[in-house]
Order: sequence, then structure tokens, then C-alpha cells
Amino acid sequence: MAKRECGVVREMSDNKFKSSVLGASENKSFAMALPAVLWQGIFLYVPVVFIIGISFLKGLDGSVFKNITLGNYDTLMNSSYFITIYRSVVLAFSTALMCLILAYPTAYFLAIKVKKYKNLLFFLLILPFWINFLVKAYSWFFILDHNGFVNSFLIKIGLISTPFHILNTPIAVYIVMVFCYLPFMILPLYNSMAKIDKFLLEASSDLGATAGQTLWHITIPLSMAGITSGFFLVLIPSFGEFVIPTLLGGGKTMYVGSMISYFFLETKNVFLGSAFTCLSGLALIFVALSIYFVFNKIGKKNMGVK
Amino acid sequence: MELRRKASSFILPSFVGLIYLFLYAPIIVFIIFSFNKNPYSLKWHGFTFSWYRDLFASSEVAEALTNSLIVAFSAVFLSVTMAVFYVFYGLGSFLNRLTILFYGSLIAPEIVLATCLLSVFSFLNMPLGIPSLIAGHTLLGLAYVVPIIKSSYEEIDNRLIEASMDLGATESQTFYKIIVPILLPAIMSGALLIMIISLDDFFISFFCSGPETLTLPMYIFSQVRTGATPIVNAISTLLMVVSSLLILLLTSFKIKTRFF
Amino acid sequence: MREIKIKNVKKTFNGEVILDNVNLTIPNGAFFALLGPSGSGKTTLLRLIAGFETVDSGSIFFGDKDITYLPIHKRRVNTVFQNYALFPHFNVFDNVAYSLKIKKVPKDIIEQKVVSVLKKVHLEKHIYKSISQLSGGQQQRVALARAIINEPDVLLLDEPLAALDLKLREEMLVELIDLQSSLKTTFVYVTHDQFEALTVADRMAIMNGDGEIEQVGTPKEIYEFPGSSFVAKFVGSTNIFKGVLKIEGDKSYFEVGDLGKFEINLPKNKGWESGRNILMSIRPEKFEICKTELQGFSNCLEGNVASIVYHGRSTQYNVRLNNGFRVSVFEQNEEHFPQEVIDYEDKVYIYWQKENVVLLEK
Repeated sequence: MAKRECGVVREMSDNKFKSSVLGASENKSFAMALPAVLWQGIFLYVPVVFIIGISFLKGLDGSVFKNITLGNYDTLMNSSYFITIYRSVVLAFSTALMCLILAYPTAYFLAIKVKKYKNLLFFLLILPFWINFLVKAYSWFFILDHNGFVNSFLIKIGLISTPFHILNTPIAVYIVMVFCYLPFMILPLYNSMAKIDKFLLEASSDLGATAGQTLWHITIPLSMAGITSGFFLVLIPSFGEFVIPTLLGGGKTMYVGSMISYFFLETKNVFLGSAFTCLSGLALIFVALSIYFVFNKIGKKNMGVK
Repeated sequence: MELRRKASSFILPSFVGLIYLFLYAPIIVFIIFSFNKNPYSLKWHGFTFSWYRDLFASSEVAEALTNSLIVAFSAVFLSVTMAVFYVFYGLGSFLNRLTILFYGSLIAPEIVLATCLLSVFSFLNMPLGIPSLIAGHTLLGLAYVVPIIKSSYEEIDNRLIEASMDLGATESQTFYKIIVPILLPAIMSGALLIMIISLDDFFISFFCSGPETLTLPMYIFSQVRTGATPIVNAISTLLMVVSSLLILLLTSFKIKTRFF
Repeated sequence: MREIKIKNVKKTFNGEVILDNVNLTIPNGAFFALLGPSGSGKTTLLRLIAGFETVDSGSIFFGDKDITYLPIHKRRVNTVFQNYALFPHFNVFDNVAYSLKIKKVPKDIIEQKVVSVLKKVHLEKHIYKSISQLSGGQQQRVALARAIINEPDVLLLDEPLAALDLKLREEMLVELIDLQSSLKTTFVYVTHDQFEALTVADRMAIMNGDGEIEQVGTPKEIYEFPGSSFVAKFVGSTNIFKGVLKIEGDKSYFEVGDLGKFEINLPKNKGWESGRNILMSIRPEKFEICKTELQGFSNCLEGNVASIVYHGRSTQYNVRLNNGFRVSVFEQNEEHFPQEVIDYEDKVYIYWQKENVVLLEK
């Protein structure tokens, strides 16, 4: 219950006071707040432990052997599995990089250069973010296909005489990957750039820096947080991406995602599947940490003369 | 000198313009083709509403739509309720410090989430279908809703509550007249967000819905796989329109919350 | 001669005219204050000199060089921003060294110059601190150091003391005066606080709310001889009377309907004729207030004390005249135990000499 004496109210002037308004007792509080945490635990964290555990078990047709073994990992020490993981890493990294290159000037323009209609332009930018990614991927068929837009247009203006093979090539995959993940990069970049005090940029010019120097010394270091979070926001999901490469790349190559789906949904080999999932997870963590380390280094280097 | 300034101030806007074009052109083309007369060609043959008519007549679509809506609303209800309880009752206790756990669903690639869910369901011997979908979407939803509501709740100035009680309101009056109205935009934003995510979700649905259940995005996927008629364009266009309207609603709440 | 000449400058924002045909000359090496109420365009004028904004029409000269369209980073002007605009990811040293680093000055020279300029602003003990560790006053000095290390021709200061408390502000004002006289750089100081302006300026310009310059002059000229009632009211406080000029022979009078005729000195070179409507401005400190009648003053008014405000150094009396009009009077509290104590509703006489008023057209 809220206390009215001066000193104690001040003490209660923290979050406990807010909760006490509901007349909640300690025990009741705990019980009511628990479901969310339990849900998260049961459906995410427990399975993760479970999967890690299972990867050390071996069995045929889904039956469980009580022997702990590294057998699954043994099976995975095969170049074809490594290539799959490598392929996904390359896909993820390249997508993130391309998104960064395209998104940075865009976010810069919107956050720093635009004065009027900022809200409208921003809204238009995030709208594609919410469109079903399947729809987005599929819509490129109309553009990239033999009879699609790009080819018809190029033929019309006489640049080529026979249609280009764009679909089912890596180019198509990368175009659509960037297309789908670009908004993921633009959003955090925009947020961090919008927070930069405009007077800082004016001060930089005032002190003699050209536009390029201001960008390098002031804007980029101050938007580093956005660059990092945007990069990971693209890197991590695109690592597990397999629908887009499959739909647009011809469906013959395996990526981490398609491999896992193959294990769990088709062969139903839970053990090997879990092992592969863990292995891929490790690869991802390793790559992510290295990149994070590099970003940190860059960030520190840019902090001033000394 | 003037000319060079004008030229360089032209490059950036043009580039950004191209980006916008890149983002929107495929979608616009896609929408246009939902009115295409010829079903199996990617060439334009003429304008028609027939696909939309087929859409409304298709029982498959109706079933997919119904399933999607059931899952979405249930997920919204479950996520928001659990999130609200978590924030209200957990504030200040150690449970609240576990908030970082919720970010796990956002960080992990969806394939991992899907695999985890699948393993839980098989362990519990739960049949795959609408309940498993609801469970999965709720998991997704929690990750988005909890931070929104939590930050909004923490931002409520304690002095408002003190002022309310000082002016004579009881605790429950303060709750309903002060706290809830201030929190409402955050709750609405969270609900809308989960709605959109659930309607659009493909991954989790693909993994956790089992052989018999079909949601809207899955229907679209199967149609794409098997060589679609523009009926896919039609349903996708409608889905896009609905999502856009929901986003519009969401951004009108944006002013009252600090989600973005 | 590197004076700043602003010629016929006009600037609008969103259709609203901020600066309307402004002409101003800022002499070289002066501490020049731009004083005006909020929204008078003084900050805009400053930003035009710095280059952050461009004029709609008109020109700006440094000496005989037209810098109207010169880009910001090429102007030999530096700015001290109102919110300091210190780079948060640099420490004190790097903030101050920034402009030298941009010009690729060798490291040892940079170090030398940074230390020397930080000494000038008394921050030599805080060289490697991060910005967040500094107090408001210290941050302000870093902003100052950063701007003067370049030895610019002109230093622009945009209400630099606005965020500081009173004592700190008074200290900084003195420091700024010392700094300016030692550097001999032209300082252009924008403020809405007339006390600050009067304190630091060698010369000042008053801007009104319509983006025009009302008057330019030394602080004393502006205070003692305001050119309009706007200036008289904005700089210091004053009492303004509306009346009619009456010339009778070689004597001139200011006649206020229900108050009477008051002797004045007719300003020469104005060409005013008898019967003209003019204003009379009398500063509160120019009055002598007394409960008894005094001799030796040219003019007098009678009234009752309506309110008394004690200011420590002085006391302000609001006197209600016979026609209901209120006049404010300042008296210095020169004695602990004054001979005469004036209280509420006392009948008092207010005296002044005819030389101590200013006659205005508007």
C-alpha cells in the first residue's frame, strides 16, 4: 500500500510504487508475471538445450539410443556439409554488405538532408518492410523472367535480341535478398542518424571540414551503433534464409535452411538434424563475433586523434 | 561554381529515388498483373477482375483466410495478455530483469525458432495444426510486445500516480483512469504489430502447421510452387492492402508511443 | 581593413520575413553585440555571416571580399553554438584539435596549440576528459577554445551563456571581455539579455521583432539616447509619456493633457514644429522622489505611492499620478537609516531635470 509520509513516499517513488497501485502482493505478482517467461522458456530455450543434447545421441528412424556419442558430428565432417554452411555464410555476409552500401546514403538523405515531408517519406520506406516476403520474392518473377519486364524492356530498346537468363542465377538471388532485407538495414541506420545533433554537423563545417570530412569524422562514428545493429539485423536472418535462394536460384543448391528443413521434415532424422543445427549455429556465432570485433575496432579507430 | 554545387546536390536525391523505385517497382508490377487477363503468361493481356472473383469464390482461400485470422487473433490475445501481466506484475522484481530473454526470438534465425517449436510439439506429442501455430505465433509476438509495453509503462511519470492519489483517487481508480489510458496506445501498437506479423508469417507456419492446416501465406506459397494463376496476385494484393492499412493505423499510434 | 559589411540583406523562411533589408557595418576588432527580443532575426543574421544559411537577396562582405556565397568551411569565421555542439565521441583535446586535424597540421604543433588555447580558457587540467564529465561552464569553455584555436577573423557567439546560472554568467562575461581584448578578434555576440550586451559590447545593434535594425551605437549612446521607444523600453526600463510639443519663443514645452506642461530642451536638427505629437522617455533613475517639496528642479509631478519593490541595492517605487498614470522611480539605497522613509499611499513629489529626458518620434 502507498505510504503518505514524506520520506517514505520518496523512497517508494520508484517502480515498486507503480506496481503497488494494483494492490498486488508479492506472491500474486510473481504468479501473474510468470506465464510470459514460462512461455518463452518452454518454446524457445528448453528446446535449444534439448536440441544440443539430442545432437549427441544417435538413433535410427527416430528411436533414441541411450549412448552419448559424437557420431552425428562425425557424419557431418564432410565437405558437402561444410560447403552448405559456407554458402549460407557468404549469402548472409554479401547481403548484409550490399544492404549497408545501399542503405547508408538513403538513411543519410532521409535523416539529415530532408526537411519537408520527412514523415511521409519515412512511412513509404518502412511500408515494404511489412509486406509478406513471399509476395515480395514472387513479384520479382514478373520482372526478371524471360517475358518479364527487364527483358521486354531491353529487347524493346534494342540492347539485346534474345532474352537474358536472369532467373535461376545467383544475381537474381542477391537482388531479391537485398530487396527483402534492405528495410531491415535502413530502419536502425535512420534511427541512429536522426539522433545526431544537427549542430554537430554545422560545427564541423564551421571548423573547416568539407562535406566528405564531416561524413568520415563525425557522421559515420556517430552512426556506428546503427551500422552495427543494422548489419546484424540482416546478417542473422539471411543466414537461415533458404526460400529465396530456392525459389529464385533454381532450387538445386542447398543452404543451411534447406538442409535443416530436409533433416527435420523429410528424413525426420532428428539427431543428425540437431547436430547440423548446432554446427551451423556455431558457425554463425563465430562469424558474427568476428564481424562484431571488427566493427568495434573500426569504431575505436575513428574516435579522435589519440 | 554554382553549377557544380547544383550537380552534386542532384546525385544523392536521384540515388535515393532509385532505391525507392527498386523497393516499389516489383510490387506495383505485381499488383497490376493481378488484373491480367491471361492466367499463365507473364505478358500483359488486358484488364480483368476475374481473379478477384475467383478469389472470393474459392473455398481454399476462405479456409486459409479463416485459419490465418483465428491464429492471428488468438496470438494477439495471448501475447498481449501475458505481456501486460508480465510488465505490470513483474515490474521491479527479478523477473523483469529477465526481459532480455525475450530478445532471443528476435535474434535467432527463424529456422531455429521453427525447429525448436517443432521439437517441443513432437516431444509433447501434440498434433500439428491450429494450436501449434498459435503457440508459435505467440512466441514471436511476445518478443515484439513485451519491449513496447515495458518501455511505455516505465516512462509513465511516477508523479502522475502521486498526483492522482494526492487528489483523492483510490488505487484502482488511478489504475483505470490514469495508467490504462496512457498505456493504451502501446497496447494497441503491440496488438497491431502481432496481427501483421501473424498474418504475414510463412516460416513458422510452414514448419508447424502440419499436413492439413493451411494459412494464407502457405496457400500463396503452394500456388507459387505449382505455377500460379494471377489469383495469387489477387490474394497477395489484398493481403498487402490490409497490411498497409494496419501499418497506417500503427503509425498513427507511433506518435503516442516510442516504438520507432 | 576587415570590417563586416551587411548590405540590403533579406531573408525569409516559409513565407515569413525574418530579415528585411538589413544594413549593418561591424567594425574590425570590436566586441559587437546584436541585441533583440526572441524572433527578431539576430540569430539568423549570425548564421548568414557563418554561412549556415544563404541570403535571399543582398550581400555580405569581409572588407572588400564578397563572401555572400562562400561555403561554410572556407570562411574565416568560427561559431560558438548555443548548445555548444561539442562532438560527443571526442574528448576535450580532440574537440579542440579538430579544425587543425582537418587541415592536416603536424601532430606536435597541434599539441602545442591545443595546450596553449586551453590555458587561455583555464581548462588545462581537463585536457583528456570526455565531454560528459564536464560541467556546463566547462563545456562552454571547450566550445570557445575550439573556435578560437583557428585564429579566425571573426568569432560568432550565439547566446553562449544562456544555459549558465547567474554567477557563472557574470564570471564568463568578464572572461569574454578579457579574451577579446587579448585576441583582438572581432566578436559578434548575439543575445536577448540587455544586461549582457551592455556589459560586453564596444558597439551594439538593436533589432526589433520585424527583422529591422532599430539603432546602432555604443552601449552608452543607446542607453542614454535611444532613438525610439522600442529601444528605450527594450534596453533598460523607462517611462514613456505621450504629448504635444509647444514652442513659445525661445522656450519649449512638452504638454500632456491632464498633467500639465513640462520644460524641455528642444532637440536641434530635427525640424520639429510646435503642435507636433511626440513622446518623452524618462528613465526611472533620473527621477528624484521626495515627500517634501524641493527646489532647483525644472519639472515636477505629484502622486501617491502605489507599490514598493525592494531590490537590495535600490528600491523601486510605482507612483500613481493624478491622472491615474503610473510612473516607476528607482532610488539607490545609499543609507542604512534613510532620513526620509517613503511608505505605501504616501503623497510624494517626483522631480527631474529637463536635460535628463529623451524626446522621441515613435
